[in-house]
Amino acid sequence: MAHQADARRHLDERGYSGPLIHNDNPLKLFEKAVRDRIVDSYYWKEQCFGLNAATLLDRAVELTCIGGTFGVGQKPTPFLCLAFKLLQLTPEREIIEFYLGKAGDEFKYLRLLAAFYVRVTYEKDEDVYTTLEPLLADSRKVRRRTREGWALTHVDEFVDDLLLKSRVCATTLPKLNPRTFLEDEGRLEPRESALGEELDELDAEDGEGEGEKKVKDEESSGDEGEAEDGSADGRNGDGARSEEDIKEEDEASDESMDGG
Amino acid sequence: MPPPSSRMTKNRPQPTRYRPGKAEVADADSEEESSDEEEEQKPAKAPAPKASSFPTQKKLAVDLSKAGQQRSAAPTVPVKTEDEDLAGFVTASESSEEEDGDGSSGEDEDADSEEEESSSDDEPKKPMLAPKFISKAKRAQQASNGPTAEERAAEEERLRKEKADDMLQAQLEREAAARAAGKKFWDDEDIAPEDEVDDTDDLDPEAERAAWKLRELKRVRRDLLAIEEKEKEREEIERRRNMTADEREEEDRIYIEAQKDDREGKGKMAYMQKYFHKGAFFNAEDGDQDEEVQAALNRDLAGARFEDEAGDKAILPEYMRIRDMTQLGRKGRTKYKDLKNEDTGRWGDEMGRRKREFDGVDERFRPDEGGRGGGSERTGANSAPVGERKRARHE
Repeated sequence: MAHQADARRHLDERGYSGPLIHNDNPLKLFEKAVRDRIVDSYYWKEQCFGLNAATLLDRAVELTCIGGTFGVGQKPTPFLCLAFKLLQLTPEREIIEFYLGKAGDEFKYLRLLAAFYVRVTYEKDEDVYTTLEPLLADSRKVRRRTREGWALTHVDEFVDDLLLKSRVCATTLPKLNPRTFLEDEGRLEPRESALGEELDELDAEDGEGEGEKKVKDEESSGDEGEAEDGSADGRNGDGARSEEDIKEEDEASDESMDGG
Repeated sequence: MPPPSSRMTKNRPQPTRYRPGKAEVADADSEEESSDEEEEQKPAKAPAPKASSFPTQKKLAVDLSKAGQQRSAAPTVPVKTEDEDLAGFVTASESSEEEDGDGSSGEDEDADSEEEESSSDDEPKKPMLAPKFISKAKRAQQASNGPTAEERAAEEERLRKEKADDMLQAQLEREAAARAAGKKFWDDEDIAPEDEVDDTDDLDPEAERAAWKLRELKRVRRDLLAIEEKEKEREEIERRRNMTADEREEEDRIYIEAQKDDREGKGKMAYMQKYFHKGAFFNAEDGDQDEEVQAALNRDLAGARFEDEAGDKAILPEYMRIRDMTQLGRKGRTKYKDLKNEDTGRWGDEMGRRKREFDGVDERFRPDEGGRGGGSERTGANSAPVGERKRARHE
């Protein structure tokens, strides 16, 4: 369809005839309240008028934070406005993959924007997983704007949230089947972690050597200096100790994740 | 001042009606007034075309420029002094002084008379030059003379415009600088400065890589745990299926007792404690809920006590035994305490009490309490202690 600068037809829900996502107007993926806030915001009115995929790139590289709405008046972040713009434009897969890949290498917020778009729009669960899981290897720092203040996260944490949580950045994400379900059905392979071999080495540290290790082979090599005691493979047979370990680690992880 | 009318009204005097029998009074005053008014109107109207008619081009142009000036450089306009104002202004009288008495002077005079009136209008507006008629001969002279008053006025116009533009420029620059310096505007909520969180990468690559590894490991472990949980459940189901009914009951009993113990660990509801239940909706398991939120929702409510609440309402006088202490002393609170108090039944008292014979009979027709044939009457008016009956009563 011809590029229309003001794209009013997308916002008008009555006669929408563009591409459908999840069988509906893509703009409806955002809730009405959030949509209203975005459209009334200055950033949208000034910067997001008449953007196309290329000019949106210019805006996206200027991003400095991610987030949903903040403050008492629920102001939307520029990140959210650009995501809304992407929904309006519904660019093709190649463009999105470019944002995620090459361009994302250089500009992390662009990558996050594309990841958000992928999670929200891709209709097949497998595609979501296969597209987003490589991003779990990206460990760059990300500034997140919370409702009252700022927080520090990382790219992989944000992608993890996208895959697991149900509400991220002021949007309710479309329902995604859990990975185990897809694996059982055979639509997906079990996840290959980016750690790969290092994972095997860590498992070798596990003090409770008895019981089958479920996943990895034992290799006796030095550790990487991580603080992980005991591995996840503690079984019932190992009794209370592994449970305790896991509880301790849970607490530790909770504390550290609270900062994120 | 208009001639005072004796009638004290602005209405024009109408010609009086003919009334038969009455002598027509021809008012000299009224006639004069009416004629005067008519005359005034005409002269008032007549000069008007001479005075202004349609504004000349120059007048229009100057007006527009002045309007623009006022908008853009509002605070600076009053800078002009009176001398400046009057500098470009050339009165018709002045201009006429420059004239030499010529044959054209007659025309000029006519023009002058026009311009005098127009100049009186123009005096408040600056810079206004009354258009002056110059004959061809004079025009040639003027051209050689150099910048005339008009041109001077035009130049000053330009200067003033430039000044206004400069002021505007300065103002815009100031605003931009303020914005750059991060000053707050009315619609900008600065909850906390952005620099609070630093997102520059590669400050410490080792630490960052280590942190990432930790996160990745936790994710992997989380997945493995989930798989294990599922396995355990499946095994449990298998196990129970393979047990006999007795064994199942045994296990259930143990589980229920464990639950009871847990419940005892929680606080017990005091006498008349206020009970708040959030509702089944909020009790639903929500995997996404924050831990804090879950902790808050699953609080032990029965064990909670207000600071000010009496520890045990049973020791309070009956008047103060209210469930909601805020209602104490208020008019209109219900006296309802609890079901037990309000119940008029006897809570199982009646089981097997009555003689079977009189069961279906109405209360009024039942015999008195059996088994107390000669017993002392404990109810009613006769229940006061009475001494022994005196046998002999002769009197």
